[in-house]
Amino acid sequence: MRGAVVLALLLIAATVASLLIGDVHVGLAALWHGLWGGDGPGALTLRIIRAPRAAVAIGAGGALGLSGATFQMLFRNPLAAPDIMGFTSGAGLAILVAITAGLTLPLPLAATVGGLLAAAMVVLLSHRPGHVTPALTLVLVGLGVGFATSAFGTFLMTRLSTSAATEAQRWLSGSLAARDWGHALQVWTMSSVLATALALQVRALDLLELGDDLAAGLGLRTERARWALAATGVALAAAGVAVAGPVPFVALMAAPLGARLTGSRSMGGRLAAAAGAGACLTLVADLAARAAIPGLQLPIGVMTGALGAPYLLWRLSREMEKGEL
Amino acid sequence: MKGLLAVGLLIAGVVLTLLLGVRTVTPADVWHAFTAPDPQNPAHVTILWIRLPRLGAGLVAGAALGLAGTVMQTLTRNPLADPGILGVNAGASFAIVLGALLLGQADYGLMTALAFPGAALASAAVFLLGGGLSGDAGPIRLTLAGAALNALLLSLISAMVLMRAETLEVLRFWVAGSLSSAIERPVGAMSLIVLAGATLALILAPRLEALSLGAALARGLGTRPGLIQAQALLAVTALTGAAVSVAGPIAFLGLMVPPLARHVAGHDLRRELVASAILGAGVLLVADTAGRLIFPPAEVRAGIMTALIGGPVFIWIARRLKPGAQT
Repeated sequence: MRGAVVLALLLIAATVASLLIGDVHVGLAALWHGLWGGDGPGALTLRIIRAPRAAVAIGAGGALGLSGATFQMLFRNPLAAPDIMGFTSGAGLAILVAITAGLTLPLPLAATVGGLLAAAMVVLLSHRPGHVTPALTLVLVGLGVGFATSAFGTFLMTRLSTSAATEAQRWLSGSLAARDWGHALQVWTMSSVLATALALQVRALDLLELGDDLAAGLGLRTERARWALAATGVALAAAGVAVAGPVPFVALMAAPLGARLTGSRSMGGRLAAAAGAGACLTLVADLAARAAIPGLQLPIGVMTGALGAPYLLWRLSREMEKGEL
Repeated sequence: MKGLLAVGLLIAGVVLTLLLGVRTVTPADVWHAFTAPDPQNPAHVTILWIRLPRLGAGLVAGAALGLAGTVMQTLTRNPLADPGILGVNAGASFAIVLGALLLGQADYGLMTALAFPGAALASAAVFLLGGGLSGDAGPIRLTLAGAALNALLLSLISAMVLMRAETLEVLRFWVAGSLSSAIERPVGAMSLIVLAGATLALILAPRLEALSLGAALARGLGTRPGLIQAQALLAVTALTGAAVSVAGPIAFLGLMVPPLARHVAGHDLRRELVASAILGAGVLLVADTAGRLIFPPAEVRAGIMTALIGGPVFIWIARRLKPGAQT
């Protein structure tokens, strides 16, 4: 319980910090008045730029965190996350295709479609009829699909003009720059619908944790439950990517971070913690990316990539010590 | 018989590289370009100044990557080991972008000078992080350690690129490895390094084979596992560094060639190494020529061609790993 309070306080602190800190100075007093009206540069910055940006960060981070947690529980493997499994690179490729072909398709939609296609490809390629797919095969096939898609992406990058390539690069690394209330509304709507769907499947996750045989014995249709959960997880990742671009590693790190902070045992508690941790992580990483180099607003993906890679390495060495890899 | 096929592939690669391309050239032109070169004849100029350096770069880079892949896969007993997967390309790209950021616009000489140390450092780092020296690295450890380092370097590269637009121009053409700017690359010098690396690999071959039976057994046979691993790593680093300097990042060649070489040469590591050098050069030259012909006059760069072929091969190998073999 105490952990949950800590996580909630962290989230509030991160939100306030990301509203206060930036190129335009906003004081604590101005924060309160600025949110509810008033003008002057501080209040406008707050209402038009920082508040929607923070709202998008919380929504997207929460969705990515939930998505990662779903996959990690589903495959009972801390390395199973949409970033590792090709979803993110598929989304990136779709963005590039849309920019190169000059499609009028909105980029978030393209990212979602690309991510879904890549995820479907990974699942189909690693599936063998009559066998349960080992989680690690899935991870490796995901990497393979990632390699192939990024090769194609590299090809497309050589065909772009300088300005288009810069635009593409910004999108590809995942960014929260210039998000408005429309984006916030979009990600919050999608995330809440999907989170509700996930909440309805908590019992299935609980049963699957006992092992497939036992779960089936207790009356769960395991194959169908797995597909439904995987679909929910992919849709959650898509909701996040659609507004923030393929931000790497938030989905991978959120659930373990949430579990460590709250120590929650129940499935629902772990999911909620993952969502909270994902939101925190996204807010803090975005803030750090904005503030790291004065005068230069780095996209958030640069920061989560730099944070996530050491985490992945640490996780690997842990798994190796446990003898699971 | 299978050996003849490998040599045939190499010969086909050489001939196709010289003959095919945007400008049509006849075999007679090639013959005359070598026997009686005429600087006024555009066909001769194309052959001597564009396609011949390209051929040289393809031979050097292809043979080096084939050899490096075979040494790496034997050393780690890991069918997914490949210089590209092990971070070499990301390391080289990182060094080049950093150089372009700090020193302004990078020229080819600078790129080459920076690519080598970047590649070498990254591959050594991944190898150590993945538990390569403990001698029992599973396929997944190294692969994921490589993926992690790749992600880290890519996000740093991304930050640098967004700080200065010129560096993006350097990066996006460099990252797609290619044989097309071969004339500006130090093919001659790098071929000496490749030769040294190949010699070292051939000398090490029997001891590497002993090592692949397991560290304990190798020690019993009178070899020193740590020393052999360090020497093999040196050979791999020299080979991949040279290949990256000549052709930029060429993905997956080191992944695809070793199984083919094993098929051709049987289970004798020295013969396997020779076969992988021949096959590596042959596959790279054919892939490069194919890339030039798909969408003329634009060319799909060789590194992209090999990655497009290699991605599916990687997936195929990953699927075939038995769950037990993944530990």
